[in-house]
Amino acid sequence: MSAQRSVSNRTSQQSASNSDYTWEYEYYEIGPVSFEGLKAHKYSIVIGFWVGLAVFVIFMFFVLTLLTKTGAPHQDNAESSEKRFRMNSFVSDFGRPLEPDKVFSRQGNEESRSLFHCYINEVEHLDRAKACHQTTVLDSNVQLQEAIRSSGRPEEELNRLMKFDIPNFVNTDQNSSFGEDDLLISEPPIVLENKPVSQTSYKDLD
Amino acid sequence: MKHIINLYENINDTARNNSDCPHVVLPEEIFFTISVIGVLENLIILLAVIKNKNLQSPMYFFICSLAISDMLGSLYKILENILIMFRNMGYLKPRGNFETTADDIIDSLFILSLLGSIFSLSVIAADRYITIFHALQYHSIVTMRRAIVVLMVIWTCCLGSGITMVIFSHHIPTVITFTSLFPLMLVFILCLYVHMFLLARSHARKISTLSRANMKGAITLTILLGVFIFCWAPFVLHVLLMTFCPNNPYCACYMSLFQVNGMLIMCNAVIDPFIYAFRSPELRDTFKKMIFCNRYQ
Repeated sequence: MSAQRSVSNRTSQQSASNSDYTWEYEYYEIGPVSFEGLKAHKYSIVIGFWVGLAVFVIFMFFVLTLLTKTGAPHQDNAESSEKRFRMNSFVSDFGRPLEPDKVFSRQGNEESRSLFHCYINEVEHLDRAKACHQTTVLDSNVQLQEAIRSSGRPEEELNRLMKFDIPNFVNTDQNSSFGEDDLLISEPPIVLENKPVSQTSYKDLD
Repeated sequence: MKHIINLYENINDTARNNSDCPHVVLPEEIFFTISVIGVLENLIILLAVIKNKNLQSPMYFFICSLAISDMLGSLYKILENILIMFRNMGYLKPRGNFETTADDIIDSLFILSLLGSIFSLSVIAADRYITIFHALQYHSIVTMRRAIVVLMVIWTCCLGSGITMVIFSHHIPTVITFTSLFPLMLVFILCLYVHMFLLARSHARKISTLSRANMKGAITLTILLGVFIFCWAPFVLHVLLMTFCPNNPYCACYMSLFQVNGMLIMCNAVIDPFIYAFRSPELRDTFKKMIFCNRYQ
């Protein structure tokens, strides 16, 4: 395209002829290439490039899977509800946090906000977060579990759960229904104004 | 485009050619089909976002930007095919003013699409990164207004760069700038996604869950980055080789696969919706509604 045209531009300035075959001459300006005396195979760049690319991608994949396997899994002796809650909170990704006025409109939000802070802190300070977990998670967890299970709950309850979602690299075996939603890629789970959307996502959760 | 026209004119010319490394010529129908599929897919995404109010958020606007740039790339190929058809049917002169201008416009369309894809992918990765690591402030950092401003700035820069690159395409700094954008962006995206992945891994460890989930994350990341690398790197290398070693036989053999490399970029436009837009359940539902509503009506 433009790069090949660059060569033709150069040569058009040099050649004064305006014959109909000017272009083909310009195009084949880079044409005559001698293939004598090649030490390696003539397609060596092609082969080398593609092999290198494949090796790089496979290497990247193995590095990522190795990262998943390093470190002993943390043996969590907490209640199953806590685990379930954590798993639920990982379900949808890139959950849009709520508007601040809606987030903090209810008392329950205080606990979930602190829980969310727990998760944020967890990234930076693991030890502090652990203590944070054990004290706050259980209470708000049970409350939120009830919130999830009752179908008559308004949308804000669901939003509270959703808002501290983290991209769902982690999926649970219990619920394979979000197998395809669990990766980096799906939408924010909740839309503030629209109930059907959140209920759909809520159904995905359960 | 000119090179393809010349190729058709001189396909039987064996006097001066790279007979040892013949140009691999793909049938134009394949290009045309892939381009049409790409345009349709990305158009569906745009329609879905326009129709569904739920999807009008910054995140989907970035995905729309990616869809637009993919659509431009496919449109470029379709326009090129049409012009070649006209040329073969004799409606256009080989060196006419109209054809030269049309060729310039089409070339800048192509570069605009390339740059748009690169920047859209970067912006999508940055948006996801902010969602993860600054989730509480996400709404104040990524507002609709800022998202639209960012997209406007990106597309204006891409337009300006596209026109500049087409005008100054024979200068080496242009080529170096163009080809260096690719690895820079790759490194940027790689860092963002790997950091996000590490965070998810640390969470997964706490839950003592399944390596299966983490394996999925690793597979997703590999697919995202792998598709990007496989589709773009061949063309970028082609541009580099064409600028720096056009007379080298090895480089010439690589450049004989130019059409394959071009097709990979078209394939990228077709694959991108599947790994970015259609992963979203909301968008899939909107898409199904659009199809079934059309069926009932």
